[in-house]
Amino acid sequence: MFAALGTVLAVVLAAVAALLALRWLGSVTDPQQVPPPEAVPVLGGHPPPTHAWSRFHLRYYPMTLVFIAFEMEMMFMYPWAVVYVQEGMKALVEMGMFLGILSLGVLYAWREGALRWQ
Amino acid sequence: MAVRFLTGAAARAPVPVFPVVGGGARDGVEELRLCPGIDVVASPRAATVLLVAGWLPAALRPAAAQVHDQLPHPRATVCWARGDLAAAAETFPAATVVPPDGDVVAVLKRVHRGLVTGERDSEASLLPHEPPSPWKGVGPHGQGGEGMMGGRPYGRPMPMTGPDRDGLALDRLPLRVGPFFPALPAGLVLDVVLQGDVVQEASIAANAFADAAAAAERAAVAPGFGDDPFRRALREPVGVPLLELARAGHHLRWAAATLRLHGLRAAALRTLSLAVGLTSDALPRLAALRRRLERDPTLRWATRGVGRVSAAQLPAGLGGPVARAAGVVRDARLDDPAYADLGFRPVTHDGADAWARFRQRLGEAEQSLRLAQAAQSGAPASVARDRVESPQGELSTASAPSGLLLGLVGDLLAGMEWGDAVATIASLDFDLEAQPAAQVGVTLR
Amino acid sequence: MSAVAPWVAVPAVGGALVAGVYATGVLDALAGRRRAGRPLAVGDALSLPWRRACLLLVQRGVSTERPDASAWMLAPALYGAMAAAALTVVPLSEGRVVADLRTGIVVWGAAEMLAMVGVYLHGWSPNSAFPLLGAYRFVAQAVSFELLSMFVLIAAALPARSLQVTRIVESQESLWNVLRQPLGLPLFVVVTLGVAFWGPLNLPDGDDLAGGTGAELSGPARLAWEGSRAAWLVAASAMGAAAFLGGWLGPWLPGPLWMVLKTLALLTVTVWLGHRAARVRPERFVVSAWTVLLPLAFLDLVVAGVQALP
Repeated sequence: MFAALGTVLAVVLAAVAALLALRWLGSVTDPQQVPPPEAVPVLGGHPPPTHAWSRFHLRYYPMTLVFIAFEMEMMFMYPWAVVYVQEGMKALVEMGMFLGILSLGVLYAWREGALRWQ
Repeated sequence: MAVRFLTGAAARAPVPVFPVVGGGARDGVEELRLCPGIDVVASPRAATVLLVAGWLPAALRPAAAQVHDQLPHPRATVCWARGDLAAAAETFPAATVVPPDGDVVAVLKRVHRGLVTGERDSEASLLPHEPPSPWKGVGPHGQGGEGMMGGRPYGRPMPMTGPDRDGLALDRLPLRVGPFFPALPAGLVLDVVLQGDVVQEASIAANAFADAAAAAERAAVAPGFGDDPFRRALREPVGVPLLELARAGHHLRWAAATLRLHGLRAAALRTLSLAVGLTSDALPRLAALRRRLERDPTLRWATRGVGRVSAAQLPAGLGGPVARAAGVVRDARLDDPAYADLGFRPVTHDGADAWARFRQRLGEAEQSLRLAQAAQSGAPASVARDRVESPQGELSTASAPSGLLLGLVGDLLAGMEWGDAVATIASLDFDLEAQPAAQVGVTLR
Repeated sequence: MSAVAPWVAVPAVGGALVAGVYATGVLDALAGRRRAGRPLAVGDALSLPWRRACLLLVQRGVSTERPDASAWMLAPALYGAMAAAALTVVPLSEGRVVADLRTGIVVWGAAEMLAMVGVYLHGWSPNSAFPLLGAYRFVAQAVSFELLSMFVLIAAALPARSLQVTRIVESQESLWNVLRQPLGLPLFVVVTLGVAFWGPLNLPDGDDLAGGTGAELSGPARLAWEGSRAAWLVAASAMGAAAFLGGWLGPWLPGPLWMVLKTLALLTVTVWLGHRAARVRPERFVVSAWTVLLPLAFLDLVVAGVQALP
């Protein structure tokens, strides 16, 4: 298994190197040497009054919390899928209960407006 | 050798063009999209050639120069002039000028080839090489900032906090989305304050096409302006077929721009190719296109409920497709005997949202073609009045519908997500050039 | 479980992705122009991606006022490298897979997640308003569809009793998963559109944001970014072909050819959808992903579970 993972890692590193090389061809070596009018962010003709980096109001934050709950459930589903057939109906019922409880969470979030932005 | 191979292939690629659309040039630039060798791109950073089309009022020239500087090297400018060539030469000294009836596509391809193969030098930046405010060496770290968020690091301040409707005080991002932003109508400058991606405040800056200086310039420089059939109908009789074909063409071009905004580029090209050279025997194709677009579930899902302007919220006296899509039956053609003879009845929808306005304009385009066909087959009727129904609404010598619509925007956009805000503005169909100088009092927040 | 030496693996994955990216460019040009009613000659379509790529190599790069320069360089590298990582677990034919991991699906899910980080970084780095908006919109969209991907792949893994992609393909010898788990492939196509943010799910790079995270890109940087998006389209189509369309299984033709044909078929479907469907509204998509698509994924899991019971 480690040999296979090593191959995956080698492929990832090679891809990173190739894309970095391509991206480096198109990079400007020193951003501070670019003439200021050429570096103004694209807004349609006027310069921006402030930098864009800001404390962005993430309106879907409650939804990401529900997502984390499902991710933890997913961690249990991976081994569950492998032993499912030998465990039979019991496994289906147990996972059904788990998913049902989490679905109640989604339902609650939906009714409480956690999925709404405006 | 390899470089020549590369540049040879690059010269044959579709030319990426960023359009700066001035007065009288909107239709021409849209038609460029139909040309297979030209790629009208969404961001100046993707373009090699800047196309300055039409006449630019003096207020818009600095913005055009800024957009020019945002193009990557190698870059060039092509001025597709209408009238004042001297002003174009002053703002863009190195530009290639194409007369209004010239072959702009050939010039664009030639300029692009020259740039890519290196025969033509890339243009230098037009604006002075100064940072927005001096920052080198300023402040305790030398980058212009002071304290946690103060000062002007790298020349610009950091955004500051402000309250939001759910009580969380996070940063507000003020933006002046410029006159040449592809998703907004040409020449529209929108001042927004975004918090997250929801618009907190919005207002439209003064219309550069409509102030008194611009009006004088326009009269001197672009004498053909005011040639569109609707303005002519205020002065002299214009045949109904001509008016209705112009109306259908306008609505189809608007529909193409809206479809492109919503990501349906192929459908937009199809609609645009129908609009160019429109005649009344295109009616079956238009009817088929309209049926297909109205049945598209993804487009309906994307525009339903967006930008709802109920009849009560409409400014008094506003007609046009915006009002008719809200169920208000107001049409200057109702008072016209020529249309009454043709059996004209206004099309209305209810819903008053962007989807209703889309269906409204497509329906009116089809109705216009039917009227044009009926008027051609019968005795030619003509129209000469003091109030004419233009594609945006009721046009008279004193007022244009765009002025009334501009006043809607501030209150309408507050609280909308950015994509919805852009879709709403597109659905209101602004025509900034058409606003006469007398009607400049836009409501500013 | 075999391991392929890196000097064979890297050219294999790289070659497959480059060929796939080029094919995506050709298909996109053909599909777009056909839908517009102005069909493109096949010869022109075949040379169009090459010409565009050459133009992007000739064009020079730009910078903004105060970007996060290293993150801006790493973002397309991360995004594209995750597409390569995702493709390593997908088999070309029996015995021919770059990394035949027993936890192939987990690697796929992990690659998808890290790709999301790449897109976010790409929007954050230029320090410009519209790329930033695109980045945050993408996180909302990505978090919503990642779960769908995991559920439908787990449902495909149930009859195989393994998370190894080659076993999943082998388990389809009796019947392909697209027929016995009919909800799986449509949901997976949504995931494909989402992870490559293509067509209706092009929220980060949409036209209402003037190109979004790609608004400040020019030259080779743009080539790297657009190429990585197409690479994800290829990798996800390959995974879909393996998990739902039976991979290398099929009569008459050799296994690898079937795999390539099925991947191309899914690629054509996603490229066509890109031209056919309007861009979704972010909030509406999030709500429908959690209230409609997720229950459908549960249903798919139940159907797979009931069928897999002895």
